[in-house]
Amino acid sequence: MSTAARAAAIVSQYFSAPIASLEATALLLGTELAASGNLGPLSSQQIDALVEPHALATVALPDVHIYGAGFIAAVGLLTDERNHLSWWQGDDPKRLLLAAQSVNKEHIDYSELEWFRVPMETGRGHVAGPYVDYLCSDEYTITIAAPVHIDGTFVGVAGLDLLIDSVERQLLPKLAELGDNVTLVNSVGRVVISTDPRHATGDAVRGGALAELERTACEGVALEIIAE
Amino acid sequence: MHSTDSADAPRKSAVVADDTARSRDALRPGRLQGALFQSIGDAGRAELVERRLASAITGGHLRAGERLPSENDLARSFGVAPTTVRESLLALRSQGLVVTRRGRNGGSFVADSADPVAHARTALAATSRVALRDLGAHYAAITAACVRLAARRAVPSEVQQVRSRLARLDESDLEQWRSTLDDAQIELVALSQSARLTREQMRLQAEMSPMLRLIDVDETSRRAQPVLLASVVDAVEAGDDHEAVAATERMVDAVINALIDLQSPSR
Repeated sequence: MSTAARAAAIVSQYFSAPIASLEATALLLGTELAASGNLGPLSSQQIDALVEPHALATVALPDVHIYGAGFIAAVGLLTDERNHLSWWQGDDPKRLLLAAQSVNKEHIDYSELEWFRVPMETGRGHVAGPYVDYLCSDEYTITIAAPVHIDGTFVGVAGLDLLIDSVERQLLPKLAELGDNVTLVNSVGRVVISTDPRHATGDAVRGGALAELERTACEGVALEIIAE
Repeated sequence: MHSTDSADAPRKSAVVADDTARSRDALRPGRLQGALFQSIGDAGRAELVERRLASAITGGHLRAGERLPSENDLARSFGVAPTTVRESLLALRSQGLVVTRRGRNGGSFVADSADPVAHARTALAATSRVALRDLGAHYAAITAACVRLAARRAVPSEVQQVRSRLARLDESDLEQWRSTLDDAQIELVALSQSARLTREQMRLQAEMSPMLRLIDVDETSRRAQPVLLASVVDAVEAGDDHEAVAATERMVDAVINALIDLQSPSR
């Protein structure tokens, strides 16, 4: 197997458990929301109670350090709040309360942000980032999100956050073992991590030496490997 | 490491101390006495919580009539004791920023009389010209650093998202106008891919935003702002970092000059 193929397999393996957990959560939440919704429209408290066990289970997954997880409601879904994040994050996961952040974020319109917009528009799961997540983690982040539906109607997204800091710590040593220089890029050609210290996380490959090289897709997650 | 939130500190130490705290639980005195044994870290925290909530209200981030999260939710998020939150709400009530209603749908709400524009006008009048210019210098430095990186790193589809946000600006709703411009500005600087710089920009945006509402009232100044921001967006999309910086400086200059004009006695 080529270095690129082996690297792609390592990356797929790394992301497989979080993605499987997220997809299971999205399906389960759809069912649970539908069941609760039969009794009448939902409040933010009811949503939080439904989401919390799923979010905490996702954050507690072994092997991959997940920083945050939860459910973000479609605008207008709930009776008492127009926008709502049922989101738990941190090493000792706590519910994120936007009003209590050092900079108030309650009125940030999240419906346009990639991790929300793409699953809403395509009806499919999406890997967003790396990007500066100024709503939840406040860090350089990858967000994986899957749409939640009730009877075919979009009601929000289930998501999880991986900090690039953790991805670098956990994934880079495994890629470095392959010997050759390997760079992981996202679907728009942005460097996630690279065993070559000259390729900085966040840089675009366009215009540089990497732009000309072949990219190998990582199965199950929309990321690509460039081997040198 | 993951957050700059100052409220994080006691939470982290609480995690470390968790086991000993739990084993001591059995010896803990009753509820009423709980406040006596509140962690030392909570001293002065009521004032911090009060200031945080007050600036959210006077800055217009929490709007008149809006319900605040429950005391327990606030306590958990700030990483302080519920008694600390209660104390700060009491202070906010006496300032007339918050009202408390009892009963089934009760809780704490932002007072109907809390008017961010009036508050911003007072704040602007109390700010010296040198302080305003310095705020502008800080804002311009951070924004310029961000857009320089963004010009090198952003891809066209991301820049397009900022532009489509700007396209939704609605002059008939000045609340929406300001929050849309703030969001577009943050979205643009986040394209730098720098978490530190973006956090700094958000702090500055929160500081500036209430005063920017005063500029928004004037039609000429209001309409100039998206045009100036769009020229920064254009330069970022073109990958022209020098022009992105120059356009940022033009934008900040215009804003600070407009604020100084508002201050001058001839108005």
